[in-house]
Amino acid sequence: MSFRVAMDIGGTFTDVVCYDERTGAVTASKAPTTPGDLAEGVFSALARVVDDPSRISFFVHGTTQGLNALLERKGARVLLLAGEGARDVYQIARGNRDRMFDLRYRKPEPLVPRRDVMEAGGRLDYRGRELAPLDEESVRAAARRAREEGFDAVAVCLLFSYVDPAHELRAGEILREELGDGVLVVLSHEVAREWREYERTSSAVLEAYTGPVVRGYLSRIEQRFAGRGLGVPVHVMQSSGGLVNASYAMRRPLQTLLSGPVGGTMGGVAAARLLGRDNVICVDMGGTSFDVSLVVNGRPDVSAEARVEGYPVLMPIVNLHTIGAGGGSIAYAEAGALRVGPESAGAVPGPACYGRGGTRPTVTDANVVLGRVDPAWFAGGLMTLDVEAARTAVSGLAAELGLDPVRLAEGICDVANAKMAQAIRTLTVEHGVEPREFALVAFGGAGAMHAVFIARELGVSEVVVPRFPGAFSAWGMLEADVRRDLTLPYFRPQDDLDAADLSARLAALEREALDALAGQGVPEERRRVEHALDMRYEGQDYTLTIPLRDAAEPAGPGFLERVAARYADAHTARYGHATPEAPVEFVMLRSTGFGSFPRAAATVPPAPPEAAPAVRDVVFDGVPHRTPVLRRSALDGSFHGPAVVVEETATTVVPPGCLVTVDDNGFLIVKVDQ
Amino acid sequence: MIDPVTTEIIRCALLQAAEDMNTTLIRSSYTPVIYEAKDCAVALLDRDHNVLGQSSGLPIFLGNLEVCTRETEARHGRDVWREGDVWVLNDSYIGGTHLNDVTVYGPIFVDGELVGFAASRAHWLDVGSKDPGGSMDSTSIFQEGLRLGPVKVYEGGEPCRDLHEVIARNVRFPHATLGDMRAQVSCAMTGQRRLKEIVTRWGLGTVLAARDEIFAQTERMERAAIAAIPDGVYEASGHLDNDGIDLATPLPVTVRVTVEGESMHVDLTDCADQALGPVNCGAAQAVAAVRVGYKLLVSGDVPLNGGSFRPLTVETRPGSMLAAESPAACQYYYSHLGLLIDLVVKALAPVLPDRAAAASYGDSLIVQFTGIDPRTGKLYVSQEATVGGWGAWEGGDGESCLINNVNGSLRDMPIEVLETLFPVRVRRYEMRPGTGGAGRWRGGNGVVREYEFCGDTSLSLWFERSVTPAWGLAGGAAGAPPRVTLNPGTPDAREMLKVNALPVKAGDVLRCESGGGGGYGPAELRAPEAIAADLAQGMTLT
Repeated sequence: MSFRVAMDIGGTFTDVVCYDERTGAVTASKAPTTPGDLAEGVFSALARVVDDPSRISFFVHGTTQGLNALLERKGARVLLLAGEGARDVYQIARGNRDRMFDLRYRKPEPLVPRRDVMEAGGRLDYRGRELAPLDEESVRAAARRAREEGFDAVAVCLLFSYVDPAHELRAGEILREELGDGVLVVLSHEVAREWREYERTSSAVLEAYTGPVVRGYLSRIEQRFAGRGLGVPVHVMQSSGGLVNASYAMRRPLQTLLSGPVGGTMGGVAAARLLGRDNVICVDMGGTSFDVSLVVNGRPDVSAEARVEGYPVLMPIVNLHTIGAGGGSIAYAEAGALRVGPESAGAVPGPACYGRGGTRPTVTDANVVLGRVDPAWFAGGLMTLDVEAARTAVSGLAAELGLDPVRLAEGICDVANAKMAQAIRTLTVEHGVEPREFALVAFGGAGAMHAVFIARELGVSEVVVPRFPGAFSAWGMLEADVRRDLTLPYFRPQDDLDAADLSARLAALEREALDALAGQGVPEERRRVEHALDMRYEGQDYTLTIPLRDAAEPAGPGFLERVAARYADAHTARYGHATPEAPVEFVMLRSTGFGSFPRAAATVPPAPPEAAPAVRDVVFDGVPHRTPVLRRSALDGSFHGPAVVVEETATTVVPPGCLVTVDDNGFLIVKVDQ
Repeated sequence: MIDPVTTEIIRCALLQAAEDMNTTLIRSSYTPVIYEAKDCAVALLDRDHNVLGQSSGLPIFLGNLEVCTRETEARHGRDVWREGDVWVLNDSYIGGTHLNDVTVYGPIFVDGELVGFAASRAHWLDVGSKDPGGSMDSTSIFQEGLRLGPVKVYEGGEPCRDLHEVIARNVRFPHATLGDMRAQVSCAMTGQRRLKEIVTRWGLGTVLAARDEIFAQTERMERAAIAAIPDGVYEASGHLDNDGIDLATPLPVTVRVTVEGESMHVDLTDCADQALGPVNCGAAQAVAAVRVGYKLLVSGDVPLNGGSFRPLTVETRPGSMLAAESPAACQYYYSHLGLLIDLVVKALAPVLPDRAAAASYGDSLIVQFTGIDPRTGKLYVSQEATVGGWGAWEGGDGESCLINNVNGSLRDMPIEVLETLFPVRVRRYEMRPGTGGAGRWRGGNGVVREYEFCGDTSLSLWFERSVTPAWGLAGGAAGAPPRVTLNPGTPDAREMLKVNALPVKAGDVLRCESGGGGGYGPAELRAPEAIAADLAQGMTLT
């Protein structure tokens, strides 16, 4: 028992990272993803790092199974049971438009068509008091239809179930009794115990739609692992950035929806810990998209809701801001102006330099023209780039815009960098934080190629390129905690606050969270629970989550004044103003259980001596510089830019004026403009 | 001559600055009208009052925040701008909208030199009109609340206490109102910070050169789009139901669009005189509405800037309801703006079949109720717009249950939130089948929303477009008009579309039904499988 293994299943590759508990050595590898049966790719990736699964002491992975089912609209057939009079809530979808100047606007196509929505009679009021009892016959009618027409899942969302789930629970009982285990029954309050019926319905539908696929996949993986001698539970990354074991994930499959991408953010959390920094910006740039997320005060920035494919989901989810900017983003001219992205050349035909028939210049082509990519070492040498094709594509657009081709190539990168910097600013503005105080952690295939330039746009002075930047999400999973999020709606104007009652409810949540951690196999001394309150001024909608010292804090003297002052401070920090005299209200209790795993420090193998590096011309600020191309595995100590650092999964571009140090963790620390 | 790379980077930075302002405003506002209904807009302007970047929740606020800075300067001269000052204005005849729409704006200086302005407009829930929230039957602007000309609300970075006191004593919800105002001030500061960063980094000369090029690019794109429309004069007419006072008299509006080469002229002079009821607007808003129609057809979702609308001229007639003068009432300034947008589209539909669509249900359809909440003893105001059906087009059915053009990205009020905040219950919220106009492509359906009041309350309604409901195109049928019934199915059942402060009792039921969208093409050409699908989905009545 000595290996800790993490795996991130991406669209093209499955990345794996393995930590040897005896030696401290970390290795990374990858295998092609096998879309037909993901498990196949998982085992072939595993075989590259560990020969005997029985020696694995911990296994975690991020699965894209649910997300793929959603993206391809190949999820389960769902029957929706809605509340009385609320049959069309899911179809109305709050009636808003995302594009304002479109006469032909259509809402995202509902995952459940209108004919597959039925109503359950019965009604609660806003306090959860019963106005009309649940009409059990209407529930049985839905069960009959589900059975007769062969539905895979039934989602139930009744009004005010977040206050009192009694009707939903009874409906669930009836449905399970009538349908048995073959049909997944999803109750909205179990998926998301929050108000707003459309968003809760959407969350329940998404769980019902993706759940059967995720469950099928996880049970296959567990069986196969067990068959090969894996003696420990399979863990899964949740969208919140915390881990759970597969048996829990099978009960709450929605939580795994964005399992993969959040690994990078959790890598950022771990990197921040190793670097001794509170705040980092995580940037993940691949072929088609650029994902930004934040680590603030050592924690991932987690939102209570998000949109996936236009559908709202109420669940804790790492706040990833994605823009269409990647190596494949196409540059073009419009009315004499230069534009870059969001249209992407994708993998086929891909950038012109891939030699697969692409003729329009992309960001990768621009990097090739500038000499920032080693054409012989792209994707670890798996692919050779056609430099001439890149030049031709860039020159064509340059002629159209009346620019020198090299100037345009640098311009394409500058525009892409500016847009990525703006995406980061969007997140930091929402949080009321200043990017200058952050370090930028760059990963993904192209992240480190652009990171220093993005940092300059933002006034960020330090860029960090972790080890294995191409497998950073997998590494992040290895470093994550077990996490269970519990919420309890607690709508109270300040005048109605009963502090003792609040403490009692938090204490109950704490017990529930601790039990959940125990159920995940977390030993007692490694369990901890944090509490927070969602608050706002009376009349506001957006809430701020205000941390509490512990569950007992509200029962102490002067709590209301103290927490109101804390809220005013948070409001000022975030929005620049507050109204200390205005009454506040409480909206939601949030208790989160964390279970940590022991972590040992990784060792970094000593750098082997290297022959004199190759030297190439690379353009920075319009001027070609003689630039060494360095193998990352051979780096040690410090060196100045210009330099291009290559490794299997990524390229780091260091412009002149920057100082690079290899730290004890094997990270490249780039001091920008020093 | 500035190079296209620098221009593009500056263009992106200006757009982002406007988005940042918008984020700041929406996330820190206090009232649902702003954060939920997005009844707001922000703009970053250059020192000549041209739009550098704009972000808008409501399309009809597009391209007219600058009238506020322009008017202030026209009155007081350019020297009036001082660093650290923030101004406020809500006068209907300047801003064009109702008094609830308050524009907050401030100059931006870099090294002592004026470089531009940051402005935002947001709907304040209450500005002290004769009825809480706003009246449906006002006949003079003096009944509609506190009217602020261009006045300073911050001076040298310090709040002007006198004005704060005046506002606090003239509105019904001072905490929320002043909170929203502070959110707007915060938004202006975000804009100031961003523009300063941009000017400091690139230098004013470069930013101005980039600005000229960005405006020129936009103008080129729009002129090319207009040049592709055949020259000619295109006309469309419609009616507002009435002015809310004299319910028997519809108010006509005719839009005459002249396309000549690369330019477009829109003549709005042929419309009713300013009305006694609150359906009037200032000319600035009539221009903005025409711009929305123009944008829907000419430039789509392309970001707006000072080069936008250069090929467009709009003519209004002072004293008409589209260019009202004091003391005309302006509370419902937007009903005919929705109509104007639809008429611009209808006028040009024959020559832009690939862009146009049949008419939508057309109006905000406001349900407002107010009173003392028996649960808390406090005054409350609930104000909702209603979704409805949109028009079909060549190749597609109209969307059902979607918010109207004027209300932009407004989301409906969740039943669970509504019932928690106000003493009311929603008995039904569902599609209204068969209300979309028939056609080869069918109009979208309206909605049914049925309320039961849990306490005595004062009800106001503003439902429109029953005289000229959503028209079809190319042989498609019109959608159904809206209908509102108090206590349906009882002997006291009463139908009405507009009412002000009607007392209703606990237990009374209000059924609101919105209109459908117009159909496109003759109904007999509708594909049999589309008809079958409609029946299966319950989209049409059997």
